[in-house]
Amino acid sequence: MSEQQGYGLLKGKKGIIFGALDKRSIAWRIALACKREGADFVLSNAPIALRLGALDELSEKTDAKILPCDVSKEEEVEGLMKETKEELGSVDFILHAIGMSPNVRKKIDYKNLNYDWYNDTLDISAISLHKVLHFAEKTELLNNGASIVALSYIGAQRIFSKYSDMNDAKALLESIARNYGSRLADRGIRVNTVSQAPTKTSAGTGIKGFDGMYTFADKIAPLGNPTADECADYCVTLFSDLTRKVTMQNLYHDGGFVTSGISEEMIDGLVKLYAEEDDSE
Amino acid sequence: MSQDVEAKVKSIIVDKLGVDESEVVADANFTNDLGADSLDTVELIMEFEKEFDISIPDEDAENIATVGDAIEYIQEKS
Repeated sequence: MSEQQGYGLLKGKKGIIFGALDKRSIAWRIALACKREGADFVLSNAPIALRLGALDELSEKTDAKILPCDVSKEEEVEGLMKETKEELGSVDFILHAIGMSPNVRKKIDYKNLNYDWYNDTLDISAISLHKVLHFAEKTELLNNGASIVALSYIGAQRIFSKYSDMNDAKALLESIARNYGSRLADRGIRVNTVSQAPTKTSAGTGIKGFDGMYTFADKIAPLGNPTADECADYCVTLFSDLTRKVTMQNLYHDGGFVTSGISEEMIDGLVKLYAEEDDSE
Repeated sequence: MSQDVEAKVKSIIVDKLGVDESEVVADANFTNDLGADSLDTVELIMEFEKEFDISIPDEDAENIATVGDAIEYIQEKS
Protein backbone atom coordinates (compact mmCIF):
# COMPACT_ATOMS: atom_id res chain seq x y z
CA MET A 1 0.00 0.00 0.00
CA SER A 2 2.92 2.32 0.64
CA GLU A 3 3.61 2.34 -3.11
CA GLN A 4 0.14 3.76 -3.77
CA GLN A 5 -0.47 7.38 -4.61
CA GLY A 6 -0.79 9.50 -1.49
CA TYR A 7 -3.58 11.80 -0.39
CA GLY A 8 -1.28 14.56 0.83
CA LEU A 9 -2.60 14.00 4.36
CA LEU A 10 0.69 14.95 6.00
CA LYS A 11 1.78 17.68 3.64
CA GLY A 12 3.94 20.20 5.53
CA LYS A 13 4.04 18.07 8.68
CA LYS A 14 7.27 17.14 10.42
CA GLY A 15 8.00 14.32 12.78
CA ILE A 16 10.22 11.75 14.46
CA ILE A 17 9.95 8.06 13.62
CA PHE A 18 11.49 5.74 16.21
CA GLY A 19 12.11 2.05 15.79
CA ALA A 20 12.67 1.14 12.15
CA LEU A 21 15.16 -1.71 11.80
CA ASP A 22 14.67 -3.30 8.40
CA LYS A 23 12.13 -3.55 5.58
CA ARG A 24 9.82 -5.74 7.64
CA SER A 25 9.57 -3.25 10.54
CA ILE A 26 6.22 -1.57 11.03
CA ALA A 27 8.10 1.70 11.65
CA TRP A 28 9.83 1.27 8.27
CA ARG A 29 6.47 0.91 6.51
CA ILE A 30 5.11 3.89 8.47
CA ALA A 31 8.09 6.00 7.37
CA LEU A 32 7.39 5.14 3.73
CA ALA A 33 3.68 5.94 4.15
CA CYS A 34 4.44 9.27 5.89
CA LYS A 35 6.80 10.20 3.07
CA ARG A 36 4.13 9.26 0.53
CA GLU A 37 1.71 11.59 2.33
CA GLY A 38 4.13 14.51 2.19
CA ALA A 39 5.77 14.50 5.63
CA ASP A 40 9.38 15.29 6.50
CA PHE A 41 10.92 13.50 9.45
CA VAL A 42 14.02 12.18 11.14
CA LEU A 43 14.59 8.50 11.83
CA SER A 44 15.87 7.32 15.19
CA ASN A 45 16.89 4.05 16.71
CA ALA A 46 19.38 2.71 19.24
CA PRO A 47 23.02 2.63 18.07
CA ILE A 48 22.97 -1.17 18.24
CA ALA A 49 19.88 -1.34 16.02
CA LEU A 50 21.53 1.01 13.54
CA ARG A 51 24.46 -1.37 13.29
CA LEU A 52 22.22 -4.44 13.04
CA GLY A 53 19.62 -3.03 10.68
CA ALA A 54 19.52 -1.39 7.29
CA LEU A 55 18.36 2.10 8.12
CA ASP A 56 20.66 3.81 5.60
CA GLU A 57 18.45 2.44 2.83
CA LEU A 58 15.31 3.92 4.41
CA SER A 59 17.12 7.19 5.06
CA GLU A 60 17.93 7.49 1.35
CA LYS A 61 14.43 6.51 0.26
CA THR A 62 12.72 9.01 2.51
CA ASP A 63 15.37 11.73 2.49
CA ALA A 64 15.39 11.55 6.29
CA LYS A 65 18.36 12.07 8.57
CA ILE A 66 19.24 9.30 11.02
CA LEU A 67 19.72 10.42 14.62
CA PRO A 68 20.92 7.64 16.97
CA CYS A 69 19.36 7.56 20.43
CA ASP A 70 19.44 5.07 23.28
CA VAL A 71 16.08 5.84 24.90
CA SER A 72 17.21 4.33 28.19
CA LYS A 73 19.49 7.36 28.64
CA GLU A 74 17.74 10.62 29.50
CA GLU A 75 20.58 12.79 28.16
CA GLU A 76 20.39 11.03 24.79
CA VAL A 77 16.63 11.57 24.52
CA GLU A 78 17.05 15.25 25.35
CA GLY A 79 19.93 15.47 22.86
CA LEU A 80 17.80 13.88 20.16
CA MET A 81 15.03 16.42 20.70
CA LYS A 82 17.51 19.29 20.36
CA GLU A 83 19.07 17.78 17.22
CA THR A 84 15.63 17.24 15.71
CA LYS A 85 14.76 20.86 16.37
CA GLU A 86 17.93 21.97 14.62
CA GLU A 87 17.19 19.68 11.70
CA LEU A 88 13.45 20.24 11.23
CA GLY A 89 12.24 22.90 13.61
CA SER A 90 9.30 21.92 15.83
CA VAL A 91 7.36 18.75 15.00
CA ASP A 92 3.76 17.63 14.42
CA PHE A 93 4.02 13.90 15.01
CA ILE A 94 6.07 11.24 16.77
CA LEU A 95 5.93 7.50 16.22
CA HIS A 96 7.11 5.38 19.16
CA ALA A 97 7.75 1.85 17.87
CA ILE A 98 10.22 0.77 20.53
CA GLY A 99 10.09 -2.51 22.36
CA MET A 100 12.57 -5.05 23.62
CA SER A 101 12.64 -7.68 26.34
CA PRO A 102 15.91 -9.40 27.27
CA ASN A 103 13.84 -11.97 29.21
CA VAL A 104 11.82 -12.89 26.11
CA ARG A 105 14.96 -13.03 24.02
CA LYS A 106 16.62 -15.33 26.56
CA LYS A 107 13.44 -17.39 26.97
CA ILE A 108 13.39 -16.80 30.73
CA ASP A 109 10.23 -18.12 32.35
CA TYR A 110 7.93 -15.35 33.65
CA LYS A 111 7.99 -16.77 37.17
CA ASN A 112 11.78 -16.54 37.23
CA LEU A 113 12.41 -13.22 35.53
CA ASN A 114 15.81 -11.62 35.71
CA TYR A 115 14.80 -8.39 37.47
CA ASP A 116 17.53 -6.26 35.93
CA TRP A 117 16.25 -7.34 32.53
CA TYR A 118 12.65 -6.83 33.62
CA ASN A 119 13.53 -3.22 34.44
CA ASP A 120 15.18 -2.92 31.03
CA THR A 121 12.02 -4.25 29.36
CA LEU A 122 9.80 -1.69 31.09
CA ASP A 123 12.31 1.14 30.62
CA ILE A 124 12.98 0.56 26.92
CA SER A 125 9.48 -0.50 25.88
CA ALA A 126 7.27 1.80 27.97
CA ILE A 127 8.94 4.41 30.15
CA SER A 128 10.77 5.61 27.04
CA LEU A 129 7.42 7.04 25.84
CA HIS A 130 7.29 9.18 28.97
CA LYS A 131 10.88 10.34 28.42
CA VAL A 132 10.18 11.18 24.79
CA LEU A 133 7.15 13.27 25.73
CA HIS A 134 8.89 14.88 28.70
CA PHE A 135 11.93 16.01 26.72
CA ALA A 136 9.86 16.96 23.68
CA GLU A 137 7.96 19.35 25.96
CA LYS A 138 11.06 20.55 27.76
CA THR A 139 12.75 21.45 24.48
CA GLU A 140 9.52 22.98 23.12
CA LEU A 141 9.66 20.59 20.20
CA LEU A 142 5.95 19.83 19.89
CA ASN A 143 3.61 22.03 17.88
CA ASN A 144 0.07 22.59 19.13
CA GLY A 145 -2.18 19.87 17.71
CA ALA A 146 0.69 17.38 17.38
CA SER A 147 -0.08 13.67 17.34
CA ILE A 148 1.89 10.97 19.14
CA VAL A 149 1.32 7.30 18.38
CA ALA A 150 2.93 4.37 20.19
CA LEU A 151 2.61 0.83 18.90
CA SER A 152 1.13 -1.66 21.35
CA TYR A 153 -0.22 -5.21 21.45
CA ILE A 154 -3.27 -6.88 22.99
CA GLY A 155 -0.97 -8.57 25.50
CA ALA A 156 -1.66 -5.40 27.53
CA GLN A 157 -5.23 -6.66 28.15
CA ARG A 158 -5.07 -10.42 27.66
CA ILE A 159 -2.19 -12.62 28.63
CA PHE A 160 -0.25 -14.34 25.88
CA SER A 161 2.19 -16.44 27.87
CA LYS A 162 5.05 -16.41 25.38
CA TYR A 163 4.93 -12.59 25.36
CA SER A 164 5.98 -12.79 29.01
CA ASP A 165 7.05 -9.46 30.55
CA MET A 166 6.18 -7.61 27.33
CA ASN A 167 2.52 -8.04 28.35
CA ASP A 168 3.35 -5.85 31.38
CA ALA A 169 5.37 -3.38 29.32
CA LYS A 170 2.52 -2.81 26.88
CA ALA A 171 0.04 -2.30 29.73
CA LEU A 172 2.35 0.37 31.15
CA LEU A 173 2.87 1.92 27.72
CA GLU A 174 -0.88 2.28 27.19
CA SER A 175 -1.31 3.79 30.65
CA ILE A 176 1.45 6.35 30.04
CA ALA A 177 -0.23 7.32 26.74
CA ARG A 178 -3.50 8.03 28.58
CA ASN A 179 -1.87 9.72 31.56
CA TYR A 180 0.39 11.99 29.49
CA GLY A 181 -2.33 12.52 26.89
CA SER A 182 -4.58 14.12 29.50
CA ARG A 183 -1.83 16.62 30.33
CA LEU A 184 -1.15 17.65 26.73
CA ALA A 185 -4.78 18.02 25.66
CA ASP A 186 -4.87 21.73 26.51
CA ARG A 187 -2.59 22.27 23.52
CA GLY A 188 -4.64 19.99 21.30
CA ILE A 189 -1.89 17.39 21.38
CA ARG A 190 -3.11 13.81 21.00
CA VAL A 191 -1.47 10.72 22.46
CA ASN A 192 -2.73 7.29 21.43
CA THR A 193 -1.58 3.71 21.19
CA VAL A 194 -2.30 1.47 18.23
CA SER A 195 -2.75 -2.15 19.25
CA GLN A 196 -1.56 -3.94 16.14
CA ALA A 197 -2.19 -7.62 15.41
CA PRO A 198 0.83 -9.96 15.40
CA THR A 199 2.98 -8.86 12.47
CA LYS A 200 5.78 -10.76 10.80
CA THR A 201 8.64 -8.42 11.65
CA SER A 202 12.18 -9.25 12.78
CA ALA A 203 11.20 -8.41 16.36
CA GLY A 204 7.88 -10.31 16.22
CA THR A 205 9.24 -13.51 14.76
CA GLY A 206 11.91 -13.51 17.49
CA ILE A 207 9.22 -14.40 20.03
CA LYS A 208 8.95 -18.10 20.77
CA GLY A 209 5.56 -19.37 19.62
CA PHE A 210 5.04 -16.37 17.33
CA ASP A 211 3.69 -18.47 14.45
CA GLY A 212 0.99 -19.88 16.72
CA MET A 213 0.03 -16.42 17.99
CA TYR A 214 -0.06 -15.09 14.43
CA THR A 215 -2.23 -17.94 13.12
CA PHE A 216 -4.56 -17.83 16.14
CA ALA A 217 -5.26 -14.12 15.63
CA ASP A 218 -5.52 -14.47 11.86
CA LYS A 219 -8.08 -17.29 12.08
CA ILE A 220 -10.26 -15.49 14.63
CA ALA A 221 -10.17 -11.94 13.24
CA PRO A 222 -12.99 -11.64 10.68
CA LEU A 223 -10.83 -9.41 8.46
CA GLY A 224 -7.65 -11.39 9.18
CA ASN A 225 -4.41 -9.92 10.50
CA PRO A 226 -3.55 -6.52 9.04
CA THR A 227 -0.12 -6.14 7.46
CA ALA A 228 2.56 -3.64 8.45
CA ASP A 229 1.60 -1.50 5.42
CA GLU A 230 -2.04 -1.46 6.53
CA CYS A 231 -0.94 -0.40 10.01
CA ALA A 232 1.10 2.36 8.37
CA ASP A 233 -1.96 3.67 6.55
CA TYR A 234 -3.90 3.72 9.82
CA CYS A 235 -1.13 5.60 11.62
CA VAL A 236 -1.08 8.18 8.82
CA THR A 237 -4.72 9.01 9.61
CA LEU A 238 -3.81 9.46 13.28
CA PHE A 239 -0.96 11.82 12.42
CA SER A 240 -3.26 13.77 10.08
CA ASP A 241 -5.71 16.55 10.89
CA LEU A 242 -8.62 14.17 10.26
CA THR A 243 -8.43 12.79 13.81
CA ARG A 244 -8.03 15.93 15.89
CA LYS A 245 -10.24 14.83 18.78
CA VAL A 246 -8.94 11.28 19.12
CA THR A 247 -6.75 11.06 22.18
CA MET A 248 -5.94 8.86 25.22
CA GLN A 249 -7.19 5.83 23.30
CA ASN A 250 -5.87 2.36 22.73
CA LEU A 251 -6.97 1.78 19.15
CA TYR A 252 -7.20 -1.81 17.96
CA HIS A 253 -5.91 -2.43 14.48
CA ASP A 254 -6.46 -6.14 14.42
CA GLY A 255 -9.07 -7.10 11.81
CA GLY A 256 -11.75 -7.40 14.50
CA PHE A 257 -9.86 -9.87 16.71
CA VAL A 258 -10.48 -8.10 20.03
CA THR A 259 -14.27 -8.26 19.80
CA SER A 260 -14.52 -11.70 18.22
CA GLY A 261 -15.18 -14.90 20.13
CA ILE A 262 -14.26 -17.65 17.75
CA SER A 263 -14.59 -18.09 14.00
CA GLU A 264 -16.53 -20.87 12.25
CA GLU A 265 -13.27 -22.01 10.67
CA MET A 266 -11.65 -22.31 14.08
CA ILE A 267 -14.62 -24.26 15.50
CA ASP A 268 -14.56 -26.70 12.57
CA GLY A 269 -10.81 -27.14 12.96
CA LEU A 270 -11.01 -27.73 16.71
CA VAL A 271 -13.94 -30.17 16.38
CA LYS A 272 -11.92 -32.22 13.90
CA LEU A 273 -8.76 -32.05 16.02
CA TYR A 274 -10.48 -33.25 19.20
CA ALA A 275 -12.48 -35.90 17.34
CA GLU A 276 -9.18 -37.34 16.11
CA GLU A 277 -7.78 -37.22 19.65
CA ASP A 278 -10.88 -39.04 21.01
CA ASP A 279 -10.57 -41.70 18.30
CA SER A 280 -6.94 -42.33 19.11
CA GLU A 281 -7.61 -42.89 22.83
CA MET B 1 48.27 -7.50 28.93
CA SER B 2 47.06 -10.66 27.21
CA GLN B 3 45.66 -11.99 30.48
CA ASP B 4 43.99 -8.66 31.03
CA VAL B 5 42.32 -8.87 27.64
CA GLU B 6 41.17 -12.42 28.29
CA ALA B 7 39.71 -11.54 31.69
CA LYS B 8 37.96 -8.44 30.38
CA VAL B 9 36.52 -10.24 27.35
CA LYS B 10 35.19 -13.02 29.55
CA SER B 11 33.71 -10.57 32.01
CA ILE B 12 31.89 -8.70 29.21
CA ILE B 13 30.50 -11.99 27.87
CA VAL B 14 29.28 -13.09 31.32
CA ASP B 15 27.63 -9.71 31.85
CA LYS B 16 26.02 -9.34 28.44
CA LEU B 17 24.87 -12.91 27.88
CA GLY B 18 23.94 -13.69 31.47
CA VAL B 19 25.91 -16.95 31.39
CA ASP B 20 28.01 -18.60 34.08
CA GLU B 21 31.74 -17.87 33.98
CA SER B 22 32.49 -21.59 33.80
CA GLU B 23 30.75 -21.77 30.42
CA VAL B 24 32.94 -19.05 28.92
CA VAL B 25 35.76 -21.23 27.58
CA ALA B 26 37.91 -20.57 24.52
CA ASP B 27 36.02 -22.80 22.10
CA ALA B 28 32.51 -21.82 23.29
CA ASN B 29 30.50 -20.56 20.33
CA PHE B 30 28.48 -17.43 21.11
CA THR B 31 25.37 -18.60 19.28
CA ASN B 32 25.40 -22.37 19.70
CA ASP B 33 26.91 -22.72 23.17
CA LEU B 34 26.17 -19.43 24.94
CA GLY B 35 22.67 -18.78 23.54
CA ALA B 36 23.45 -15.43 21.90
CA ASP B 37 20.96 -14.05 19.36
CA SER B 38 21.78 -11.64 16.55
CA LEU B 39 21.26 -8.62 18.82
CA ASP B 40 23.59 -10.10 21.46
CA THR B 41 26.40 -10.65 19.02
CA VAL B 42 26.24 -7.06 17.77
CA GLU B 43 26.02 -5.85 21.37
CA LEU B 44 29.13 -7.85 22.28
CA ILE B 45 31.10 -6.45 19.34
CA MET B 46 30.12 -2.89 20.28
CA GLU B 47 31.04 -3.50 23.90
CA PHE B 48 34.46 -4.85 22.86
CA GLU B 49 34.98 -1.76 20.71
CA LYS B 50 34.14 0.51 23.62
CA GLU B 51 36.16 -1.36 26.24
CA PHE B 52 39.32 -1.77 24.14
CA ASP B 53 38.97 1.43 22.12
CA ILE B 54 39.17 -0.36 18.79
CA SER B 55 37.01 -0.53 15.69
CA ILE B 56 35.75 -3.92 14.51
CA PRO B 57 34.45 -3.74 10.91
CA ASP B 58 31.39 -5.89 10.09
CA GLU B 59 33.43 -8.20 7.85
CA ASP B 60 35.77 -8.97 10.78
CA ALA B 61 32.87 -9.26 13.25
CA GLU B 62 31.35 -12.02 11.10
CA ASN B 63 34.43 -14.17 11.74
CA ILE B 64 34.33 -13.79 15.51
CA ALA B 65 32.25 -16.80 16.46
CA THR B 66 33.85 -18.09 19.65
CA VAL B 67 35.27 -16.70 22.88
CA GLY B 68 38.77 -17.64 21.63
CA ASP B 69 38.20 -15.80 18.32
CA ALA B 70 37.28 -12.64 20.22
CA ILE B 71 40.29 -12.80 22.56
CA GLU B 72 42.70 -13.47 19.69
CA TYR B 73 41.26 -10.68 17.53
CA ILE B 74 41.35 -8.10 20.32
CA GLN B 75 44.89 -9.06 21.37
CA GLU B 76 46.08 -8.48 17.82
CA LYS B 77 44.25 -5.18 17.48
CA SER B 78 44.94 -3.57 20.83
